Amino acid sequence: MSAQRIISNRTSQQSTSNADYTWEYEYYEIGPVSFEGLKAHKYSIVIGFWVGLVVFVIFMFFVLTLLTKTGAPHQDNAESSEKRFCMNSFVSDFGRPLEPDKVFSRQGNEESRSLFHCYINEVDQLDKAKACLQTTALDSDVQLQEAIRRSGQPEEELNRLMKFDIPNFVNTDQNSSFGEDDLLISEPPTVLENKPVAQTPHKDLD
Amino acid sequence: KHLIDLYESVNGTMSNNSDCPPVVLPEEVFFTISVIGVLENLIVLLAVIKNKNLQSPMYFFICSLAISDMLGSLYKILENILIIFRNMGYLEPRGSFESTADDVVDSLFILSLLGSICSLSAIAADRYITIFHALQYQRLVTPRRAAVVLMIIWACCTGSGITIVTFSHHVPAVIAFTALFPLMLVFILCLYGHMFLLARSHARRVSTLPRANMKGAITLTVLLGVFIFCWAPFVLHILLMTFCPADPYCACYLALFQVNAVLIMCNAVIDPFIYAFRSPELRDAFKKMIFCNRYP
Repeated sequence: MSAQRIISNRTSQQSTSNADYTWEYEYYEIGPVSFEGLKAHKYSIVIGFWVGLVVFVIFMFFVLTLLTKTGAPHQDNAESSEKRFCMNSFVSDFGRPLEPDKVFSRQGNEESRSLFHCYINEVDQLDKAKACLQTTALDSDVQLQEAIRRSGQPEEELNRLMKFDIPNFVNTDQNSSFGEDDLLISEPPTVLENKPVAQTPHKDLD
Repeated sequence: KHLIDLYESVNGTMSNNSDCPPVVLPEEVFFTISVIGVLENLIVLLAVIKNKNLQSPMYFFICSLAISDMLGSLYKILENILIIFRNMGYLEPRGSFESTADDVVDSLFILSLLGSICSLSAIAADRYITIFHALQYQRLVTPRRAAVVLMIIWACCTGSGITIVTFSHHVPAVIAFTALFPLMLVFILCLYGHMFLLARSHARRVSTLPRANMKGAITLTVLLGVFIFCWAPFVLHILLMTFCPADPYCACYLALFQVNAVLIMCNAVIDPFIYAFRSPELRDAFKKMIFCNRYP
């Protein structure tokens, strides 16, 4: 607060001497700083601050890399049965292109979407993950319905959409936040985890 | 307090003490970095505005970050212009126009800082919702809602900026301003950390290469590291300037003001590379813009 009083004194003094070019000293006229009797090095705050910052960032990086290497293996066992079931049901339903009536109805979308989510959460093999990627486009019912409305041939649109046409926010978001390559081999599982199935990993994470 | 005064007074008072001389960077460095920052963020804005497929909430938040970075660089350019005019004698030292110009320019700076911090938090929150509420994302985060949220954020930042500049010599304003930085840092750390944990648990189940996880760790460290390295020195500067300007240790830190300021400018230059240009769609839109301009 004394600094404030000093400032107000200075401003009142300066207002009477307009000819003096003193406005740049308005804040710092507390007096010259004396450098005698310093116990530590004069740049100690600077050095300490920057060293602390670098150590913090490096520590954060090591924590992240350690997290990538280690982890509890028991999480995998809990969902293996769920995995098998979902995979079987998904494979049986998506072995062929979707039928038009299923595609048109919202119900068909929801069902296919839930199966799809169930599936992609349990993917643990690379080739199945690739199939999962190709059918990712089906997740966005908005896109699907738009495509269907645009042309009268839903199956053709579906085949077009199946060609790795991931919705904007999924694809680019993953790319922008986690690098150009997939953070995971299959991108969608990270992004498209819905609530009911997500509770399992959430539970594991907590 | 006027930030231009701050800038000049470091040179003025510190010349009394030869023990901790102020580090003076040439004006050209500031000017170059500011111009590069303005151009880069302008490119990002143009790429998003010109492409219909880039007009989604995620890109709105990236645009908001680009706007705040651009404002920060513009502040530096305006400040340089004002200083050049003052050195040439066109401006009076204590004129009312100069005080108003100082206030406006300072508000611009604080607005850009607050906007930057809020945009980074909004981007992190948007990514978090994308990952953990993926099914509801398109219902929750519509472009209209994103625009409304951004308008609210910018209105609050403008109001806070004007308030902080008006009451800048009061300690509570300074504390409120400097407390924003650690709060936002903790918020962003929590969001990204949770996302990273989820990605890690998925990656293990999919038996992917450890290289992908390492890339995620590196990207996350870069995002957070750039934020910390560019902002923390300046925030500490504000704190020390308010609480211990007469202390010799603090004074030696305050002498590095220009280095801290240039770090904020560098943040405006680096941000497009780690946020906007990481998206392949935006890169494609950018290339299309450049090549269409060359071959119309």
